[in-house]
Amino acid sequence: MTEFDATYYDGKTSARTAVRVRGCGHRLRIAGADGNFDAPLADVALDEVRADARVGSARRFLGLPGGAQLQTDDHDAVAALFPQAAPWQARILGLERRWSYALAAIAILAAFTWWCAVYGLPVAARLGAMAVPLTVESKLGEQALYALDKSFCEPSALGEGRRSEVQKQFERVTAGLKDGFLYRLELRSCPRIGPNALALPGGAVVMTDDLVRLATDDAQLAAVLAHEIGHVRQRHGLRLGLQGAGLAALIAALAGDAVSLTGLAMSLPTVLLQAGYSRGFEREADQYALERMSEIGVPARHFADIMALLSKQGPEAGLRGEALDYLSTHPAASERVEEAMKAR
Amino acid sequence: MELGQGDTVLAKPTGELEELPSEQAAGEQRYPVRFTATGEEYFRIWIVNLALTVVTLGIYSAWAKVRKKRYFYGHTLIDGEAFEYRANPIAILKGRLIAFALLALYSLSGELVPLLQPLFMVALAVAVPWLLARSLAFNAVNSAYRNVQFHFHGGYAEALRVVIGNGLLVVVSLGLMYPYWKARLARFIANQHSYGQTRFELPGLAAEFYRVYLKAGALLFGYAVLGMLAMVAAASGDRGGMVALTTGVIVFVLAGSLAYLLAFASVRARITNLTWNHARLGSVRFVSTLHTGRLAWLYFTNIVAILATLGLAIPWALVRTMRYRCEQTTLLAEQGLDRFLAAESAQVGPTGEAVGELFNIDFGL
Repeated sequence: MTEFDATYYDGKTSARTAVRVRGCGHRLRIAGADGNFDAPLADVALDEVRADARVGSARRFLGLPGGAQLQTDDHDAVAALFPQAAPWQARILGLERRWSYALAAIAILAAFTWWCAVYGLPVAARLGAMAVPLTVESKLGEQALYALDKSFCEPSALGEGRRSEVQKQFERVTAGLKDGFLYRLELRSCPRIGPNALALPGGAVVMTDDLVRLATDDAQLAAVLAHEIGHVRQRHGLRLGLQGAGLAALIAALAGDAVSLTGLAMSLPTVLLQAGYSRGFEREADQYALERMSEIGVPARHFADIMALLSKQGPEAGLRGEALDYLSTHPAASERVEEAMKAR
Repeated sequence: MELGQGDTVLAKPTGELEELPSEQAAGEQRYPVRFTATGEEYFRIWIVNLALTVVTLGIYSAWAKVRKKRYFYGHTLIDGEAFEYRANPIAILKGRLIAFALLALYSLSGELVPLLQPLFMVALAVAVPWLLARSLAFNAVNSAYRNVQFHFHGGYAEALRVVIGNGLLVVVSLGLMYPYWKARLARFIANQHSYGQTRFELPGLAAEFYRVYLKAGALLFGYAVLGMLAMVAAASGDRGGMVALTTGVIVFVLAGSLAYLLAFASVRARITNLTWNHARLGSVRFVSTLHTGRLAWLYFTNIVAILATLGLAIPWALVRTMRYRCEQTTLLAEQGLDRFLAAESAQVGPTGEAVGELFNIDFGL
């Protein structure tokens, strides 16, 4: 026999009645707070009572026939009277109560997130990028170039002769690449960016005047261009965008309600992981550059030379130091030179 | 379980004074809202349900949602009595499957027939008011207190007028009508809700909403100017070049984020206070005393804790935020809380709620 205190609601008004409840055999007897079970307020069959599934220490609700309800905090009594209530969810309750299961859940989630970030998302992004038509990708590139011209760059200030020499290197690198991309070289003067080259989705490669001036041999420019062509061919711009969107969706799905709680801050891990992704892409592009250079007969040392020149350049040299490698979007220059040297 | 009466201690609420209703009247009793969940217990519920959702490829998410909501509802007490969340997980799962199918259709249509995508967006715009109304109705009818259900009576026509009709005014006025729109929306949502047979009532609060948004806007603008100055100062340091520029940008972004957080907390606190302090439920009035500074601090520490623990602090953050919000809310009732009449119950499908969730429509309630 189980007895417990509860509150009774008839379901017609919000008025409450404090009651004493007793389970005997297959009946549930409800008496006033005085506990006079000889004159009960109600007497119902146990199997007509719908006990809800327990969640933690939250209050229990027992549905009575006719829409009335009992509410109680006496979890032991309810468990004793309704051992079969929501059996499936009772298992979940068991999982939720033990710290060992909580630790196992953390391990599962950590493994899942790690797998998604390292393998799942990059593969999904590569497949997704393949589904995007080249015309759409070129349009993205056009928009990027427009934005670049608007805020950072001016038309190239190099002489016509010098420009056509660089163009010749570009044609040498792209000659015979029948992969559908519409390759073209865009020379720009962008003092605020410094010596640099950028691959835009669709096939446009932007190179700054400063980089052209920095090179001590035109074969070094060919090395940089081959690296950028590697970005284009492997659709790195598009894939980076898709991976970013995927990451944001993953974090939103896992964090759930907390997104509204933290707002902006949720984009921080995305930014950090994106930096990791783009370092991976730089390595892929380096690898392609070295392959392509050996195909067209440019010695690999030119790649090492331009990397060394770049790493000596300006204030960026400090930022690209090995200590900041993790935050930098490019692998440390010395590391890349080493790889290039190895390939030689 | 305590069945005590609401305490009759007269306490002057502190907070944004301009938004407070008149003092407690004689004969009115105070019923503070209490929240008794603990971060430690909720952590295990949260993490286990999240892991189960991942392991079942999302199918379990409907059960996870119901269990989490039931835990929060069951620990939200007024006058010692708890709220109850009654939604059936299977119904939510069905809604989510429909929403997922629609999303797949949407992405595929863009892939195969690009022209279809804008059409889909128009359809979504027309559907948003319906989704809003259905989602509110589903949530209301599945929420109960003292075995009396809540209801939402808003129909499609009025939702369309308020959400899209007034929403267009915001666009046409270049955002100037935004506070008016939010006030209209708040009023529509409040007035269409009832507890049993008793309707909630909220007057028009457009002027008050304008004051709140103007203050937040001024705050944001002030910090933007300050941040800009700080950035320029940092960037023009003697070293010059990329390092100084980077420092400047970081300073600007940090100042901007702090300003955003403060403005966000200010709007949240003051709009919530305004809405509850003017709302009535029969003879019941509400007092909400959220404080901008304390809310901003709560948000800030939540963000720091969540980032530092890679998300593991999320349950703790949710519980302490909810506890603060409950602690700052009090009911004032002349005749106690025993006299509300229940209404006939009706079943409402969950599709609206799930679709809105999946397309990430933030109704900002």
